[in-house]
Amino acid sequence: MEELSTELISQLGSKISFVIPIFGGIPVPTSVAITWGIMAFVVLFSLIFVRNLKMVPTGPQLYIEAAVSGLNNFLKDILGEEGKRYFPYLGTVTLYIGCSNLIGIFGFTPPTKDLNVTAGLAIMSILLIEISGIKAKGLKKWIIGFSHPMPLITPINILEIFIRPLSLCMRLFGNVLGSFVVMELIKIVAPAIIPVAFSLYFDIFDGLIQAYVFVFLTALFMQEAMETY
Amino acid sequence: MGTIIAIGAGIAVLTGIGAGIGIGLATKGAVEAIARQPEAKGDINKALLLGCALAEATAIYGFVIAVLIILFLK
Repeated sequence: MEELSTELISQLGSKISFVIPIFGGIPVPTSVAITWGIMAFVVLFSLIFVRNLKMVPTGPQLYIEAAVSGLNNFLKDILGEEGKRYFPYLGTVTLYIGCSNLIGIFGFTPPTKDLNVTAGLAIMSILLIEISGIKAKGLKKWIIGFSHPMPLITPINILEIFIRPLSLCMRLFGNVLGSFVVMELIKIVAPAIIPVAFSLYFDIFDGLIQAYVFVFLTALFMQEAMETY
Repeated sequence: MGTIIAIGAGIAVLTGIGAGIGIGLATKGAVEAIARQPEAKGDINKALLLGCALAEATAIYGFVIAVLIILFLK
């Protein structure tokens, strides 16, 4: 059990993958290296599938169009027409979190298991929420909006700016870490066929749902900030 | 010291009770709503999935705290 706990402790921190030998060595963490891999895969995937686009879609173009329009409709339900400029970013975040949660199946450690990655995503979300609020309402109305239902709740509203991204970050990190720990324990108990069935739930189902929830909550908070009374 | 760490971790995971009860109640509401109006199945499904993921988050917070207690207290 000692090795298991020391291994788990080492998994909690972020490991350095290699060092770029310029400017006196820049250490590159593993999650960054795997993110580069995911970026290369997604860019190649897009480049291959947008060749020879036809007006009447056939073949793989059908699936891609279905996926993109599904995502756009889902976001349009929450954000409405004015939020159209934010759809590309939210779609990219869904793709990234989905890919990085699923990459655990192939044996790499998912980049979202690193607390820094989820914290970065949460900080991006908070910036997006506040900026969308300011853009939609104008600076003065946005500041007055803090006292909106009742002036008594203003400190809670201000606190919420920091608490919401914290909960987003911890939810994603906790889910990925939890499924990782459970899979490690299962592999110790039954290393043969059984992990596959459990991995179906923990890695695939849980990972995709967490991507969906992250983007849905960001969009929901943005819509709440953009609401003009 | 080891027993106190174990008791602390055990108490931290008790947040699972809240998640279990909350998700159970949400599913009860969803099933009743589907029984009353089967055409709205798609919307009810989405709302249920979202509610379950959010309620599960509190249980996950407890789990993360328990893991941190076990690993970082000596």
